[in-house]
Parts: sequence; C-alpha cells; structure tokens
Amino acid sequence: MLNRIFAYGNRTGWLVLAVLVLLILLPLAAVVVQVLLPGVFFGTWQIGDLSLLLDVFKRPLWSQSLKNTLILGAGTTLLGTVIGGALASVRARWSFPGARLLDLAVWLLIITPSFILAQGWVMFAAPGGLARQWLGWDWVHSAVFTPAGLIFIMSLSKFPFAYLAVHAALEWKVDRLSEAARMNGGSSWTAWRTIQAPLLLPAYCSGAMLVFMDAVGDFGLPASIAAVFRFPTLPYSIYSALYTSPIRFDMAGVLSFYLVLIIALAMSLQFYALRKSRYDFLSSRAVRSEPRRPARGDWALAAGTAALLAAAVGIPFGSNLVSSITRSNGSAGSSLTFEHYRQLFANGGQLADGLLHSLGIAAGAAAIGLAVGFLVSYVLTYSTFKLRQTVDVISLISLAVPGVVLGIGYIFVWNQAWLEKIGLLLYGKPAILILASVAGAIPVITRVVTGAMAKVPKGLLAAAQMQGAPFGRRVRTILLPLLRGALVSAALAAFGASVFDLATTSILFPPNFMTLPVVINKAFEDLKFGYAAAATLTGGGIVIAVILAAEWLFKPRKRKERKT
Amino acid sequence: MKRNFINRGFAAAGLISLMLATAACGSNANGANGANNGNGAASSPSPSASQAASASPSASESAKPAGGGETLTVYLNDFDEIIKPMFEEATGYKLELVTGNGAEIMSRIEAEKGNPHWDVVWMDSMPSIEGLSQSGQLLEGYTPANAANLTDFAKGFVPANQSYYPTGAHAASVIVYNTEAFDEASAPQSWADLADPKFKDAVGMADPAVAAPAYPFVAWFFESKGMEEGKAYFKGVLGNGTRVYPKNPNVAQALTGGEIKAAALQESNAYALKNGGEPIGIIWPEEGAPGSVRVAAIQKETDHPEAAKAFVDFLLDPATQQALIDQGEESYFEPSVTGVNPKADREPNAKLVVAEASFASGHEAEIKQWFADNAVQ
Repeated sequence: MLNRIFAYGNRTGWLVLAVLVLLILLPLAAVVVQVLLPGVFFGTWQIGDLSLLLDVFKRPLWSQSLKNTLILGAGTTLLGTVIGGALASVRARWSFPGARLLDLAVWLLIITPSFILAQGWVMFAAPGGLARQWLGWDWVHSAVFTPAGLIFIMSLSKFPFAYLAVHAALEWKVDRLSEAARMNGGSSWTAWRTIQAPLLLPAYCSGAMLVFMDAVGDFGLPASIAAVFRFPTLPYSIYSALYTSPIRFDMAGVLSFYLVLIIALAMSLQFYALRKSRYDFLSSRAVRSEPRRPARGDWALAAGTAALLAAAVGIPFGSNLVSSITRSNGSAGSSLTFEHYRQLFANGGQLADGLLHSLGIAAGAAAIGLAVGFLVSYVLTYSTFKLRQTVDVISLISLAVPGVVLGIGYIFVWNQAWLEKIGLLLYGKPAILILASVAGAIPVITRVVTGAMAKVPKGLLAAAQMQGAPFGRRVRTILLPLLRGALVSAALAAFGASVFDLATTSILFPPNFMTLPVVINKAFEDLKFGYAAAATLTGGGIVIAVILAAEWLFKPRKRKERKT
Repeated sequence: MKRNFINRGFAAAGLISLMLATAACGSNANGANGANNGNGAASSPSPSASQAASASPSASESAKPAGGGETLTVYLNDFDEIIKPMFEEATGYKLELVTGNGAEIMSRIEAEKGNPHWDVVWMDSMPSIEGLSQSGQLLEGYTPANAANLTDFAKGFVPANQSYYPTGAHAASVIVYNTEAFDEASAPQSWADLADPKFKDAVGMADPAVAAPAYPFVAWFFESKGMEEGKAYFKGVLGNGTRVYPKNPNVAQALTGGEIKAAALQESNAYALKNGGEPIGIIWPEEGAPGSVRVAAIQKETDHPEAAKAFVDFLLDPATQQALIDQGEESYFEPSVTGVNPKADREPNAKLVVAEASFASGHEAEIKQWFADNAVQ
C-alpha cells in the first residue's frame, strides 16, 4: 500500500504538494482556523462562534461585498479575457508598427500595483480631473464611477494575464491543421474559430482564471474607485475586519474562506469545460510561430492597439506622470517642477534602499517560484498523481486571498517561539519576504507554464524515457526548449509582480528593512502624491529595464533557432 | 545555439545572483540584529542606561550616550525619519523601527501575541492601545521623570495603571472645504452641518474601520451623545450622501479633485494640503474637534525595559516634542508637555475633545460594525 502511494511518479506529486502546503495552505489555514479556535496560537482553547459563517448572508456590508465581488469577477473575466486573447492572437499572427509597445505595456500593467493604477484613474476621471480640465469631457466622471465603469477599468488593467497565457500558447503552432481547413475552403475566420480557438481553450481558461483571481482578490482598485459610489468587495471587508480593534482574525478567516470557495467553484467550471478533449497537439511538424506583416491593414491594427493602450496605460500612467512633474499653486493653477524627482534621491536615498531590497526579494521569488511552478505544472500535466486537483486549487489560492491575510498567516506560522531553537524563526528576517513572494508568484507561474505545457504531448516524454533518458535529461532536452518562452514570461511576470507586492510586505517587512511599495505607500499616506508618483515611475522604469534586459537575454530568437 | 544560450544564461544568472546578494546582505545585517534582540534577556541593563531613564527633563541634551549599543524595537506610525537619529544620539541606544499605518501595526502586534517582537509601541490609536492594556500586554506602573511636565489636558489620558503615556494630541477631523466651492461663511461650520441638506452629496470622510484616526473621530459622537443619538447623527450624515473613503489621503484627493466640496479630514492632512497650495479652508468647529491622542506604551515582557523606559521618557522631554513639531511630518499637534510651542500657523484656539479611552476601546467593535453596515446601505 505504502509502496503504491510513494510509487515513482507520485513522488514529485507529494513533494510539490508539501511545498504548496507549507507556502500557501498552512498560513491560510492558520488564519481560517481562528474561526474554529480563536486564540489557538496564544495558548487558549475555546470554540469559536461558527454562526459567523452565516453572517455573510446577514450583515449588509458582507452580503453586499460578496455580491459585488461576484459581479466584478465575472464581468472583468469576460471582458479582460476577450481583450487579452484578441490582442495575443493579433500580436502572434501579425507584425505591425508598435507591436513591441504592446509587450511593454503588458509588463507595465502587470507589475504596477493596482492602487497606483487606481490613483491615476481617479486623477483622470474626478469631477475636476484631467479629463475635464484638458479635454473638456464632462461625461467621464459619471461613466467611470459606476459598477460598469469599474469593470471596464479593471478589465483594462487585468487583461495582461490573459494576454500572457494565450500568447505563450501561441508560440508553437501546427500549421497543417489550419492549412487543411483552408484547403477545404474555410475562410481564415472559420479556421480560427473551428481549429485554433478550440485548441487554445486551455490557454484561454488559464488566462481567464488568472484574470478572475486577480479581480476578486484585488483591494486597491475597488477601494479607490468604488469608494466614491460605495461598492465594497470581499477584500475591502477583509481589511476592515482586520483593522477592527480588537482585531477579528476570525472574521477575516470567514471572508477568506468565501474567497477560496469562489475559486474552487470557478475551477470546477474550468474542469468541466476542459474535461472532454485533448489539447496536446504539438508534433514534429510544429514550428515556432512568427508574426507576419499583413497584406494590408497593418496601420489599422496599429491604430486599434494604440487606442486601447492609450486608455489602458496612457490614462493611469499619464495622470501619474502629470502629477509627478507638477506642483499645485492653488487657484493660480499648477506649475512644472522636477522637485519630486530630486527628493527621491535626497535624504540618504530611502528609495534606493527600498528598491534594492524589493529587487532582491523579487529575483529570489522568481527563481524559487519558477522551480516550484515548473514542478507543479509538470505534475498537473503529466502525472497520474491522485491529488492533482488539490494541487491545482492550492496553486491558485494565493492570488485571490488578500496579501494581508497571507501575511498574518505567515506571522502565525513562522513566529512560534520553538522555531527559534532550531534557527527557523523566519519572521522578522528578509527571508520570510522571499517565501511570501514565492507564494504570491506561484499562481502566475503555474498558469502560464501549464497553459503552454498542455500542448506538449506526453508521448514525447515517454519516447525519451524509453530510450533511457532520466527525468533531468527529459526536462532539459524536451521541455525546456519547447517551453522556454513561456518559462521566461512566467518568471518575469512573477518578478515584476513581487517587486510591487505591497500587502504582504507591509505586514511582514523586518525592522529598518523598507521595501519599494512600502516607501511608495507611505508617501501616499503622507499626502505626497507627487513624490509617490515619481517614486512609482522611477521604480517601475528600473524594473521594466531589468525585465526587458532579461527578456532579451533569455527569450528564444528566431534566426538562431533555425540553425539547429 | 546552445553556446549562445549558455552565454546569455550566464549573464542573466549573474544579474539574478547580484540581486540575491543584495537581499542576502540585508539578511545578514538583520540576522545580526535579530541575535541582538535574542540575547537581550541575558544582558543586564547597564547602570548608565537606567540613569538615562530617570534623568532630569533636560538630561537628554546633556547626558552622554549611555545605552552601550543595546537595540530597542519600536513600532510606530509616524516620525520614523527623525526620531531614530535623535534618540540614538541622546541615549546611545540603537533603534529598530517598524513603520506602518495604525491598522498594520495593530495587526502585527496582535498576530505576534504569542512571541512579540516589539519593545515599545508609539501610535495615535489610544483606544487600541487601551485594549492592549486591558488584555494585560503592557508594562504597568512606570512613572517617567518627564511625566512631571505633562499638561493638565494630557494628564487626563494617563490610565490609572500607568501603562501608557500621551505624547501629543491632534484633531482626528477638522472641517475642510474647497474655497472654490464655498467661502468661510457658506462652508459647513459645525458637525451638525454635515447632515444639513445644504451640503447634500458634497461631503466626504474616512472609514473608521480602515483609517486609524477616523475611529477616535466617530467614537467621540457616540460617547458624548450616547449610543442611540450617535447612531441617529451618523444616519443623518450618511443619509445626506456623505462619501466614505478608505483613508484620509483618499479624502484629501477627492477634495482636491473636486469629487467632494467639503470633508471631515485629519488635521495634519488638512494643513499639509493648505501649505501645499491647494485651495483649502480649515474650520475648527466651536463644539470642538474630536481628537486622536498619540501614546507610547512598553511591552510587558520586553527584554529591554531600561531602554524602553528611556524612550518613553525621551518622548515626554519638551525638547523632543519641540523637535517633532519643528521638523516632523505630522507636525500639527498639541504637545503633551509644557514649554513646547505648536506650529505657528496652527489654530491658536484649537479645541480638542476626546472620547474616553475605556469607552472608545470597549465599544470599538460595535461602533465600527454599525458604521460599516450603515455606510453601504
């Protein structure tokens, strides 16, 4: 019996499960268990009030939050996936002026913390905001500050997840299927609709899940934009439960439990959609897809992309840029200044310290996260491990559960006195920030990699194994070359997202160890909006430069590939 | 191709390991500090340190550094930039600071309850600190030498068990208005005006469940009017279309952006806007502005009791408070000791009214929940 449980092929499964439990499930359980046993970590045994679980249907704030979260999640998933998928298809198929700009914009949106994007939108759409001042658009205010407006803005900032997942899956293609369709008289639209789109279903599902998770778990955007018309979501209510004194970890636990439940439901839906078909279609005939210049209409593509990017990136970043280089002079209007940028490097350069810390943490998180995420995807795609679905669910949870909850869970788990004796009291040390960032990065990494891996048939690996290639060699010679683009995308997305991860670091950063998002948020709380915007743009610029450099170093390049 | 990949791989590995090295450096430095904290229990406080703790009011200026490098960990929500060098120079102790907003700090303290990492907490959330006191987490019965300087107003906040001391108080909310929408006469004058139909859909405030200073503001109404009257008042305010933003900076931004025309806004934020050139007018209502009191408390099981006491005493030194007002970020507040001059442009007749800490602490969960549920409807 035991032999069978730990049989070959299951070992990786158990390993992956153990890592995920330690990084994600245990901290979360530590918070949720407080519903059942409040005070269990402080040595008191008492049974909690389980009626709290039903309060979500009774308390106005909570039931409203649940409803709003579902509306926002569903709407954003639909619109965000459509936008991201369409852009990815266009970008993979055609080359057009400004296509590189699209990649840049996607990275920019992924790494920017949502509260910054939200501030940009607020500056733009407020009654006295830039839209009205500069463009004379009075309607913007009433259009943006509605649930539909929030869904629209949310979609514009979350579509990159769908874009990355779909784009990674389009890296390899088997043209003969589409060619067969075209030879039989199908239009290119029919070929896309009946051949390519169905084969891309796993990638679309992965992307949609990421968009959904990030939308339901997001605090910054709804808190800033929805506050105007009172649209509380579950993360907002979790924050207010944690910020009630005496602090109600049990309430935060109950609400987090519902977020996890929503994920589980969404994933069941995904399983149902993917159940029937096989998607591993890559064969020896697969070629790396290369964007071609369309016969005509490349300028139309460019214009369409530019318009979308102007809204998605131009508005929030433009507003931040404007606020970073202007100073208000009251009724006399405002004047240009570079003072905010000068301040960044004054006073011993707190920003530089925070940025270095954050870059280090993010690099560590991306490297470790990539290793863990790759194994998770491997188990999900190729193993017969019985608890695969459990692994799948856990690997997504940390995206939806607010960082503060996870951070508090980390304190419970890693701050127990007995850990000190064995040198594992990680709380209060920078290492815990890396662990927490890995937890945050795993969903992005696994989704992107799993989406790409779904196309690589098991047969390829089995054939190599029959020839005597051990695991390491199969990974090195088959999976890595086929998945290199996706792995790089995944690692960079994780890196970018970790740099600005505010929620977790604000609760876990060790004394005198500021991180970039903490510095930015503090400036915001001190009403130094210009400074906060300057710090964001400077920090973000450096991170983008690092990402572009890494992409240039690692991403597969067409011409050289062909030589082999 | 392979070779090329390897080369590029090395370059990137170099990039990443460079970053990791940066992180590791931080790790080492912190590890050393951690060790310092860990053996604190063993190292008995030096006699010179206790001298500093019981020094005379002006001692902090004249006393030689005495701490011998002992490290004190302070959780605080403001003044982090200036307090560290000031205290280290005056006493010779080293300071480790954890800065966050009130809620973040309280979440940390609560989550660490089984194994606290802080020695002193210094925040403008008196009700929350009172809660820590009531649950027996604070060191009691310490009388700082500088407590003799406390003003009559401040003395009223020292609890009977002497578990915390006030270092200053500021208005959790004053009334601010956009001068382009109102003039001094037409702006809201009193707290009752926030419920006046004249100001329908024009007012904003911070959410007491999320913003630390917003709770002391709300709590005062519930204490002074009684719970039922308090609810009736806020039903009127919220029913008047008042918008509730998560935190004070959001309120400030809504005000300058034109979303709202008047607000109940924290005092230091209000003056910061005005000094920043925004078209903002400030009104101190006659009935008083509900105040938020900043207090300092020592953790009961601290490994560094002498250093912690020295820190609290240092905060009650008039010279320290004067420096906070002259150079600090949240510099608009009423000092808690005599002989300190508030900011010159701060309202000279500022009247602060403060909910009693035990009331505010005892009703905190109930009031916040009521407010949250009524704000969404």
